[in-house]
Amino acid sequence: MMLRQAAKKALGLTSRQSTPWSVGISRSYHENVIDHYDNPRNVGSFDKNDPSIGTGLVGAPACGDVMKLQIKVDEKTGQIVDARFKTFGCGSAIASSSVATEWVKGKAMEEVLTIKNTEIAKHLSLPPVKLHCSMLAEDAIKAAVKDYKEKRLKTNGVGESSQA
Amino acid sequence: MNKSKKLVASISTLLIRRRISHPSSSTLRCNPLAAISTNPQTDLNPVKTLAVSIRRLQFSGRAFSSESSDKRISSVCWNCGFSSDKAAFLFCDSCRSIQPVDDSVNYFQIFGLENKYELEGGSLEGKYKDWQKKLHPDLVHNKSQKERDYAADQSAKVTEACRTLTKRLSRAMYIMKLNGKNINEEETVTDPTLLMEMMELREAIAEADDSKELNQIQSQVQENLKQWSDSFADNFESQRFDEAVKCIRRMTYYEKACEEIVKKL
Repeated sequence: MMLRQAAKKALGLTSRQSTPWSVGISRSYHENVIDHYDNPRNVGSFDKNDPSIGTGLVGAPACGDVMKLQIKVDEKTGQIVDARFKTFGCGSAIASSSVATEWVKGKAMEEVLTIKNTEIAKHLSLPPVKLHCSMLAEDAIKAAVKDYKEKRLKTNGVGESSQA
Repeated sequence: MNKSKKLVASISTLLIRRRISHPSSSTLRCNPLAAISTNPQTDLNPVKTLAVSIRRLQFSGRAFSSESSDKRISSVCWNCGFSSDKAAFLFCDSCRSIQPVDDSVNYFQIFGLENKYELEGGSLEGKYKDWQKKLHPDLVHNKSQKERDYAADQSAKVTEACRTLTKRLSRAMYIMKLNGKNINEEETVTDPTLLMEMMELREAIAEADDSKELNQIQSQVQENLKQWSDSFADNFESQRFDEAVKCIRRMTYYEKACEEIVKKL
């Protein structure tokens, strides 16, 4: 919550009246971005050490952003049942990771690996300069899946192949 | 003798005009004639002068060129036609008129500093003020419009140079760029230790309640910055460029954290 408040202050978004901004000014945030800002979905953390959790931690070198995306996987079905994120960065980065957590829920791991940053960017109408934020979200998803798979391999031992 | 000098002068004027309307570096490269010295004090045969100038050019090309080694640096004053074998930053050595911005002059040269990462404390500030006294748009009223325009450009360049060189991170990135080592900013960082540390740092900043705590964190971060800056200098001098890039990455993160702290304070 502090993150959200701090982020809101940083962006100067103190009210929900986004219309005056978006009319005619090309550098405003798209309403989807603002929506994810005002109503952030899935902010938080899971216990990293829980075997059903995969944690993806990525960073953007250019702007010093950090993004953490965690998935909770049903071990039997291999479906992602829940997701959380924590991002330190600009509004676009926060919105991208928020969208990512929404989109991975209820999907199989192999399916979420096909989520492309361009889809996220399109959904948020990200300007070219912010495309790397959506790329970061895509990388975070992949990192989370990879982490989960590696954890499974470790717990199940070397012999058994656990294709979740 | 005079006739040939006049001929040479008119050729260089033509070239100057071309150079000014096409300020790309390619013009410099394919114009060895631009090196013709029209210094009235030399009594040399023009052909010999041309040969001498070209040789001087080639030598100075190596000494002064901070970018590609085949780039010839020469400058011809638009006002008096005086040509120099070193890139004229700011003023023509002969008539003191302000010159247009020459992109081959790097920031270190502007401040008369060596092309290396470490800087002494006050070296930038004094020089910066000196330049601005000569260049600032408010102070060049008595010059022609053209010179005032050049002065404005030069002034902007000096400010940019000062800004880049003052901050450690931007200086580090600049010096890497000068040496042709471009840092890939697109690639996602996945180093878990680094990211965990940064995550915890940013969380601490977000959760810090009072300015005392924030100041504490800030001084810690500043110290880390200094440490990594020294590490960068070391790696850079020893040509360990991969390590140098890692240092820059860390510094970027620390700088971002500092910005966040300042915003909160």
